[in-house]
Amino acid sequence: MSAGEDYLRAYETPRFAQLAPNLNAACFSLMKLLPARFMVDRAEASGRLKRGGHIIETTSGTFGLAIAMLAAARGYGLTLVTASSLIDVKLKRRLEQLGAKVMAIDDPQGDGNQRGRLEYLHKTLQDNPDTYWPRQYDSPENRLAYARLADLVVRSLGRVDCLIGCVGTGGSLCGTGGFLRELFPDLRMIAVDTHRSMLFGQPVGRRMLRGLGNSVLPDNVRHEMIDDIHWVGALPAYAMAHGLFRDHGLFMGPTSGAAALVGAWFAKQNPEASTVVIMPDEGHRHSDTVYNPDWLAGLKDWPISIPLEPTVLERIRPAEETAWTRFPWDRRTLSAVLAQFDGSSPAERQV
Amino acid sequence: MIQTSTPRSGQQTHSSNINNETVAWPLVVGVGRAHAHHGEFLQGVFEAENGRLCRGLVTLPLTSQESLVTFWPDEQDGIRPRPANRIKAARAAALTLEHVGVAGRGGELTIESSIPIGHGYGSSTADVIASIRAVAASARVTLRQSTVARLAVAAESASDAIAYCDQALLFAQREGRTIEHFGGEFPPFLVVGFRDGSARPIDTLGMRRARYDSEEIGVFRVLRGLACRSIRQQDPRLLGRVATISARISQRYLPKAAFNTVLDIARGHDACGVQVAHSGTLIGILLDAAAPRPAMRAVELARQLRGAGFTDVHTFGLNAETRVIQ
Repeated sequence: MSAGEDYLRAYETPRFAQLAPNLNAACFSLMKLLPARFMVDRAEASGRLKRGGHIIETTSGTFGLAIAMLAAARGYGLTLVTASSLIDVKLKRRLEQLGAKVMAIDDPQGDGNQRGRLEYLHKTLQDNPDTYWPRQYDSPENRLAYARLADLVVRSLGRVDCLIGCVGTGGSLCGTGGFLRELFPDLRMIAVDTHRSMLFGQPVGRRMLRGLGNSVLPDNVRHEMIDDIHWVGALPAYAMAHGLFRDHGLFMGPTSGAAALVGAWFAKQNPEASTVVIMPDEGHRHSDTVYNPDWLAGLKDWPISIPLEPTVLERIRPAEETAWTRFPWDRRTLSAVLAQFDGSSPAERQV
Repeated sequence: MIQTSTPRSGQQTHSSNINNETVAWPLVVGVGRAHAHHGEFLQGVFEAENGRLCRGLVTLPLTSQESLVTFWPDEQDGIRPRPANRIKAARAAALTLEHVGVAGRGGELTIESSIPIGHGYGSSTADVIASIRAVAASARVTLRQSTVARLAVAAESASDAIAYCDQALLFAQREGRTIEHFGGEFPPFLVVGFRDGSARPIDTLGMRRARYDSEEIGVFRVLRGLACRSIRQQDPRLLGRVATISARISQRYLPKAAFNTVLDIARGHDACGVQVAHSGTLIGILLDAAAPRPAMRAVELARQLRGAGFTDVHTFGLNAETRVIQ
């Protein structure tokens, strides 16, 4: 493959933006291209994905877009399984223009119905055993792909003391952080999630901030690597995204706003710590919503002033979409943290 | 150092096909040199162009020891090395004659080397590179470093980056190509080198190749990035860290018995890190040569290493603006 044929590699490469003297952001146009390309490359090399073959994945977000771009450029068929509550009409149109079949599963609870989507996916795989399923949730390749980001981070910034990123599959934070920690064992890793995501022990519910969090637990989330967990509500995430644009000219999605909120706070608290925050995608998909004053005006509690610091939780619990909470995780497993409270599983504690 | 030999007949004049030019000139007595190395800062598997994985290394040059080769062209057939067992050097000389367009000519190849054999100092490669340079000098041809590297790999199937002298680069040792040129000199080090006491000499080419797993290949990618950063910033600490992690991975494939003891000693002397010969028995503790009193610190470190039973302890500098005290 010539450099010209590998233009998607350039597309997946972040720019680094200095937000404060000790705070740098890795700003992606479409971060998910990085694991998607890595996984498709490996599947081609190992023969799991043959010329003209078919790919299936469950995704409601940008991993779908990334894999659809790769499938289009390399001539693969693609089925994407999503949930009716998560359909973004414009994204769906783009995916279909790229040749993907978008399959929306009913989602009466509005939590993304990941279970129902996986059932559909498994049935399709049974009927079409040659289909390649990248498994971004559980495949270790998702994490391995982020050696590239770790490489770019140390090339640009050298020593890193703290890495902050959103968690959805766990791939970007646990992958990048895992490799960086090989080099810098004291590296602090801070996960950013949102209220009512089950990843760090909250009961599952309707989430307003999309693009991070999950209603199932992917293998790629490595709790025992995480030092601190923050849950950021939709409104402070939106407000911070606006701030990134206004103060730095960075037009990023709302999950980048959530990560930047935590990053700015940590960097200020720890002026000696070289801090890196991962910003996964741009704001274009959100121009009719997060960046639209009319849409924002219809939100309860908008406008808000950005909280100066997170509320420290004694007990893991959901909060309002205006809230920003934090819990010291201390590199423990999920079950160890939950046992600290009452030993019950998150499913049993559902509200 | 190039001496002109006395032509005995017109047959001493040959033509070269370099750049497709046909120019006639005589072969003269040619001298070439190449220095040793002290193992590697980094060795592993790396992504080359087009995403292809290939083996690569960052050599730690040891310029105080060298191989000196003299090529004496004559009328007899074949390359006759001295000592006679230096077959790879002879092969390199023959390949170089062919490259400069005078294939089939013969001569004596005298190899005088101060580099110990079989411990990872790159003695064999130094002989090969010096031979290539000697033959090129004999034909009064300048070879590009990339050509020297390629001929070296053709002669001995694997090489190191010594063809590039002390430039900082990631070199594909089995292909003779540069994977990444870090674009600068190494940061300043004083290295206290020694041998893992119990170890016997190693036949580099007979060694089984390390089979790195996906996780390790990911780590190598990040180490390469950090090596690049350390050279751009002239930061010996970062390169020391690269070396230590590479050495630790190497423990899985060619373990050095005393490695953990060495790590402790290095830590006690506030060293930048520990490097090893990934296919040899050498270990080096890396000191920042720009930090206060580096020479005395090296002396204290060497004393402790000798006391701990390590052999062949010696100190050398890399881009160090300080005098080395042995």
